[in-house]
Amino acid sequence: MDVLDLARTQFAVTGSLHFLFVVLTLGLAPLVAIMHTRWAMSGKPLHEGMTRFWGQIYVINYALGIVTGLVMEFQFGLSWSGLSHYAGDVFGAPLAMETLVAFFLESTFLGLWIFGWHRLPTWAHLACIWLVTLTAYASAFFIMMGNAFLQNPAGAVVRGDRMELVDFGALLTNKALIFAFPHVLGAGLFTGGMVLVGASAYRLRRKAQENEFFSRSLRMGVVTAAIGIFVTMAFGYAQFGAVPEGKFGGQNLAAAAPLGFMIEFGQLLGLVVLFVMLPMIKVLPRARWAHPILIAMTPLPFVLSILGWMAREIGRQPWMIWERLTVADAMSPGLTQGMVTASLIGFAAVLGLLAVVDYVLIARVIRRGPRDLDLGATTREEPRTPALSH
Amino acid sequence: MEVIWFAVFTVLLAGYFALEGFDLGVGLLLPVLGRTRENRDRMVAAIAPYVLANEVWLVAVAGTLFGVYPLLEGEVLFGLYPLVVAMLLSWILRDAGLWFRRRLGGSAWRGFWDAAIAFGSLGLSAGWGMVLYAAATGFHASPVHPLGLLLGMVVTLLFAFHGWTFLGWRSPGTFGVSRPGWVLAASALVAALPALGVLGGAMPYLLEHSAPAATLSVLSVMVLPVAPIMLGAQVWVWRTFRPGKDAFRLPSFF
Repeated sequence: MDVLDLARTQFAVTGSLHFLFVVLTLGLAPLVAIMHTRWAMSGKPLHEGMTRFWGQIYVINYALGIVTGLVMEFQFGLSWSGLSHYAGDVFGAPLAMETLVAFFLESTFLGLWIFGWHRLPTWAHLACIWLVTLTAYASAFFIMMGNAFLQNPAGAVVRGDRMELVDFGALLTNKALIFAFPHVLGAGLFTGGMVLVGASAYRLRRKAQENEFFSRSLRMGVVTAAIGIFVTMAFGYAQFGAVPEGKFGGQNLAAAAPLGFMIEFGQLLGLVVLFVMLPMIKVLPRARWAHPILIAMTPLPFVLSILGWMAREIGRQPWMIWERLTVADAMSPGLTQGMVTASLIGFAAVLGLLAVVDYVLIARVIRRGPRDLDLGATTREEPRTPALSH
Repeated sequence: MEVIWFAVFTVLLAGYFALEGFDLGVGLLLPVLGRTRENRDRMVAAIAPYVLANEVWLVAVAGTLFGVYPLLEGEVLFGLYPLVVAMLLSWILRDAGLWFRRRLGGSAWRGFWDAAIAFGSLGLSAGWGMVLYAAATGFHASPVHPLGLLLGMVVTLLFAFHGWTFLGWRSPGTFGVSRPGWVLAASALVAALPALGVLGGAMPYLLEHSAPAATLSVLSVMVLPVAPIMLGAQVWVWRTFRPGKDAFRLPSFF
């Protein structure tokens, strides 16, 4: 592989890893917020348990979203300084807004939510998780705004050898943004819903004591997944009006293939969710035969999400900014094979291992069920582990 | 407008040093003050509620660098390529250590991630000294210079001292010292001095390389109205987790 392929591989690996965790974050955040709202209103232990259990899964997943995101942010400058040199005056704005307006607040409120248990008043604590959800969505919006600019450079003109921002409104109403953003949010809800379904099916199949807990979670998951896949499909097809000619044409088979797979399997999955799972929602918690199938379906939304990004990003090739700047020209001048190889190995190895550890930890939370949770634990619940074992 | 955004950039970077400085400092002190697992738990629990609100200042610095100084962003990050990669890996290790250390019960597990926190904090602190040295030379000299390494040591020591002060403020007496709030503020200022010094020297250069007015006005309209909310959220964190008898309530999530 030459240096360009290596740099692209690095971005693809870190970006895919990032989105695997982000897509679940986007889906679980509103669900946990709804559970927390029910708990705040009813005060019932059942709702508290659901908030803590699914919240714990949400925050463990969040950890990898952060660390992969850090690499993403700095990678622009490391490998693709040609992009900031040519279009930084335009492309930098949404990224700056994402960090300042969205992620800065998201991280601050998340810290308040995680550590504010038993400290913050009920409603202030509840407000934190809703603010986390809101800022997570804002974050997705600004990132999609940046990406949409690469797909369709609206609102900017080339002056001299650089791009200049002339119309911020055109950035906001970019046709590559307005359908893709809800598409991504729908995919997040679909993923979050399917994780609720799969994990609940696992607990129910194991005849866990918490029958009501997981029956409710499963039903909530089915409804969310149905809404999610409907929104995803609707805004997925709506996007075709905005796809430039030739993006998925004959010579761009590498983009057409993942797109085809995503549409075919996404549709099939959509039919299953909307016309089988949704009508059966009342019986599914008791239908033990169905539980292995529901568990097996859990990874599918993640696969579909990655296929979707592959189609969108490979379809953009060879352009970094559609018909303005090629990927080759966007690469940092002077980047050597040794540099990218070393950093690629470093990031892929460290982030890959951490991702595996993270999924094992999430699986462990699901296997153990809603007891001994760290999130919102009180002193009473403390040491189950021997404290004097050092 | 260039001046406003230079001020924002300065506040963000200095804020990062002043705030994340004590998180890194406590991470550095883990092997020193945290000989027992119980002590390490207390130290991490002391910083835990602040970390997410502190580390995000650097994310904001990078975003502002991209938005306000796009021409410098590529130059700076690419110019320091190996160092930036090493610092990112350190940051990742430190964060993974925090998030993972309490997820399993075993001593070896927690010890391993505590080591990751300490090494990650060391990599980041020393790396910052070297970055500042390179910045002071206009990114012409390699950061691996005796002076760069020296500055790395200075920043590491400053952060460690700041972390120690923080522990003395948050849980007076537990680690042998108790510090009032104004001492913590003073050590925060000292921790931020290296960054402030370099930024002060780079001011004319940064002003000259700001993004054009059209970009800056869009950023101003979008970001500045939110600034009070950002500030308010930070104040809320400090009010919620102020020191007291349950400064490190265990079990803590980190």
